[in-house]
Amino acid sequence: MSDNILQVKNLSVEFKTFTGTVKAVRDVSFDLARGETLAIVGESGSGKSVTSKAIMGILQQNATISQGQISYSDMDLTKIKQKQFSEIRGSRMAMVFQDPLSALNPVMKIGKQITESLVLSGKISRKDAPAKAMELMKAVAIPEPEKRYNQYPFQFSGGMRQRIVIACALAGDPELLICDEPTTALDVSVQSQILELIRDLQKERNLSVIFITHDMGVVAGIANRMAVMYAGKIVEIGNVDEVFYNPQHPYTWNLLAAMPDMETEQDEKLLSIPGTPPNMLHPPVGDAFAARNKFALNIDNRVEPPMFKISDTHYAATWLLHPDAPKVEMPDVLKKRLERQKAKGAYGNGK
Amino acid sequence: MRHEANSIPVDNVELLKNYTFTEDDFQFQEKGEVLSDTVPEDPPVGFFKDAMIRFSKNKASMVSIFMLLFIIIMAIFGPMMGDFHFREQNVQWDRLPPRIPILENFGIFDGTSVVTVQVANMPNWESVYIETVRTFYQTAGARTVPMAEIRIDAYANVGAEDVYFWFGSDMLGRDLWTRLWRGARVSLTMAAIAVLINLTIGVVFGAVAAYYGKKTDMIMLYIMEVFNAVPTLIMVIIIATRLGTTMWSLIIALTFSGWIGMAQMMRAQFYRYKGQEYVMAARVMGASDKRLIFRYILPNAIGPTITQVAVAIPTFMMTEAFLSYLGLGIQAPEPSVGVLLSQGQEMLLTNPHAVFFPALVISILMLSFQMMSNGLRDAFDPTLRGH
Amino acid sequence: MLKYVLQRVLFMFIALFLVSLFTFFLINSVPGGPFENPAIRPEVRLAMERRFHLDQPLIVQFGHFLRSIVTFDFGISLIVQPSRDITDILTERFPITIVLNLLSNFIIVPLGFFLGSLAALKRNRIPDHAVSALVVVFISVPSFVLASLMQYFLAFRLGLFPMIFSTSQNWDWDRLHSMILPILALSFGGIAFITRFLRGELIETLNSDYMLLAKTKGLRTHQAVFRHALRNSLIPIMGMLVGIFVTILSGSVVVEEIFAIPGMGRIMINALLSHDYPLIMATTVMYTFIALVARLLIDLSYSIVDPRIVIGGGRSAARS
Repeated sequence: MSDNILQVKNLSVEFKTFTGTVKAVRDVSFDLARGETLAIVGESGSGKSVTSKAIMGILQQNATISQGQISYSDMDLTKIKQKQFSEIRGSRMAMVFQDPLSALNPVMKIGKQITESLVLSGKISRKDAPAKAMELMKAVAIPEPEKRYNQYPFQFSGGMRQRIVIACALAGDPELLICDEPTTALDVSVQSQILELIRDLQKERNLSVIFITHDMGVVAGIANRMAVMYAGKIVEIGNVDEVFYNPQHPYTWNLLAAMPDMETEQDEKLLSIPGTPPNMLHPPVGDAFAARNKFALNIDNRVEPPMFKISDTHYAATWLLHPDAPKVEMPDVLKKRLERQKAKGAYGNGK
Repeated sequence: MRHEANSIPVDNVELLKNYTFTEDDFQFQEKGEVLSDTVPEDPPVGFFKDAMIRFSKNKASMVSIFMLLFIIIMAIFGPMMGDFHFREQNVQWDRLPPRIPILENFGIFDGTSVVTVQVANMPNWESVYIETVRTFYQTAGARTVPMAEIRIDAYANVGAEDVYFWFGSDMLGRDLWTRLWRGARVSLTMAAIAVLINLTIGVVFGAVAAYYGKKTDMIMLYIMEVFNAVPTLIMVIIIATRLGTTMWSLIIALTFSGWIGMAQMMRAQFYRYKGQEYVMAARVMGASDKRLIFRYILPNAIGPTITQVAVAIPTFMMTEAFLSYLGLGIQAPEPSVGVLLSQGQEMLLTNPHAVFFPALVISILMLSFQMMSNGLRDAFDPTLRGH
Repeated sequence: MLKYVLQRVLFMFIALFLVSLFTFFLINSVPGGPFENPAIRPEVRLAMERRFHLDQPLIVQFGHFLRSIVTFDFGISLIVQPSRDITDILTERFPITIVLNLLSNFIIVPLGFFLGSLAALKRNRIPDHAVSALVVVFISVPSFVLASLMQYFLAFRLGLFPMIFSTSQNWDWDRLHSMILPILALSFGGIAFITRFLRGELIETLNSDYMLLAKTKGLRTHQAVFRHALRNSLIPIMGMLVGIFVTILSGSVVVEEIFAIPGMGRIMINALLSHDYPLIMATTVMYTFIALVARLLIDLSYSIVDPRIVIGGGRSAARS
């Protein structure tokens, strides 16, 4: 466990609004090893973006970390000063955003945006900046970097912009890269290119990556481990093949069953998840997923389920794992599909 | 493999320490075969009602409403509360400082003022003398005269021991309390009418220009530019001299180009929203122009509009004060906040209260409008709905 | 580009024409005339009116006026400074008003930026509340009150500045020194305006994605604010500067009065009150012209600040 570069422990984040306190992240714990890619999956509002922003120290002003620690190489990121934080950001950890259009300053030249932080922190001279920018643009496969250097974001396509954002993130040579839904705002045809780029860069530079997405399909190709979040909590976490082939939480079942694959037959029903996520102004007592869970037990309305251990690496928070609970099988549709895919090895861990 | 002994909780064990599991805990909840997707927890709430609910939950907004109501109520009833009529002159009681019963016993609003006299002349003031603030020497030509600043009972000094001007009196001995609230009434009425006119013209003009776009927009934009280029002050003065300085002529003068800001804002808002997909979708589904404008686009502009209105009313009063200073304010003896400010300026150094109270009224109006507009903007922000 | 500028200039002159036309008929609709004064005998009055074409139909008079604009010869003042060449009056007085105005803008922009960003960065904390209070004072206390207060305390009591405008004929230190208080008095409203606007604008941009990216790249908060947020809010603020400039032109009438500054203010008011038609029209044309030119210059400079704006082409945005 010594090679963990990041350790999040019992992290909770709250937002103060006029109408009350929204508990966006509740008691989230995970760690990240060097060179590992962890995918965090969940629907919108599940707290996955907030978690990543808390790690980067860029929460909104009305958000507070109400408890927990974020340990990053002997530092607790929840305690350090902004000045110290800005020295870590960029040079040791960096972030790629969902919408590359709004992430780039519309009135600043591309090349300048890429090397801006390096020049300002004095890591390279103003004179060397263009060469460095072009090197980074080559690394993210931007054609004609010399010409592109002097252009503005509006002259770039969506995919190209995202490559620029990645180049900005790589400029300081970080060891941890957080990707917050980096492909969601892009055309489908461009998505796989960006994913491939991130995967290649990860291997090349031995980056640790936190990859946030709501798309289960993306996870298999890119991550070693994955965490499923629901209503601000991690409900299942494990190696990718563990979670994919042996899912334990009913919510994970639902997510997997809602995702079609090439083999999905025409008359096979895709399962949708009934109901809506709970209002996080007033999180329900017990298991937040109970109201939408076909297999909800009475205890789900009384006590929040703890994390049950399935293997050394695989945990899930559902009462169904308690020894006294009735035996429940995952839906047949899903079972059939998983068997089919297991045979084909469709969800290899991508490495 | 699920029920093996090693499948123990890995964290939050403490939570469960005091919990004893029962049989019932591990029974399935009674649920139908299919979970319904439509379980609205609350009855549906309309956009405006929802906005109003959120507005009333905001403390700052409620405070602002109370402050506004206070000013409005005072503007209605304030002039009747004092002992004086707003144009009643008592020239012998001019420029008196504020004096309020009860409060006068606590050293404020006690009707005293400080005058500078020669020490030699101090016995002349004996009957009204209260205390000496400081003494100093003044050199006048070859001689140095000992001087003193003494606090006197200004009311006793003019033989008005039993008179109370709550906010003091002006240079004609008129009661400033009565005049201030009367003036607030006049100013608020004028400002409200002018803003309403500006709003109507601005909304229609801006909406039409942006909604129809192309040539219509170009022409309307040019019209706005021409109006904007007209030197407002010159125009206001011409209108004031042409129509006299009545309430209505001032309103016309100040709406002459006042609607432009509103129209520009509305135009920008419309451009921002008319291309959005939900508007396109409504258009594809056959919504009429009127429906698109009023139901789909206009509600988005409510926030910025209110902010604009909130600034417009105090600004209007300032412009009016400015005109009063140039002698183009509302016809005497009718007061307005602007008239009071410009008259107060003339005795600013001896009787600062004459400026202080009208300025205070404008400040309160400005602050409460600003707080209210912030609250309304949040309340009407569709992205914050349901929170 | 050139075609666009020419088009704009053409439209500018049409606007100037329309404003003059409107003003001309409006001032002539005001009852009374320059020579309607009981002290002037009727026959003198008639002679004077004939001399200045006031007896002719309005449309002919307007023709005379147009000719005077085109030839840059506005004629002579009738009442305010009788028989004095109007061009002379304007060249003597306009520069003072304009310099006052421009110098105020030089104070307004940096101070407004400073206070606005201070308030936004320290949102809902003491500096923010202090700035808000200052803004409320600046907006709700008229400039003539603030001007008189400064004149009394800073000039009279403390003697830091001259009480009134220097009579020095040159642009020397004395004159500049005596201009400081009037400039300050003219700046308060604009400062309040920019501060308020910038605060709102910055609070929004501070949470924008590109500010977050700038921060995750490792920029310090103040670096991110200065290099990204502030520069981008410059664009809408530039548009407002025209409004501020024009407002100060009006505002300076009062401030000039208080500090006895021989600018356009008094001349303009007197011209309007005494029906000095040629002078009114000349002043109107000048003021309108200045406002239009300011607007044109700002519009043209947008393309420098915002690369997305291509002059003559409107907004363009490359899409994938």
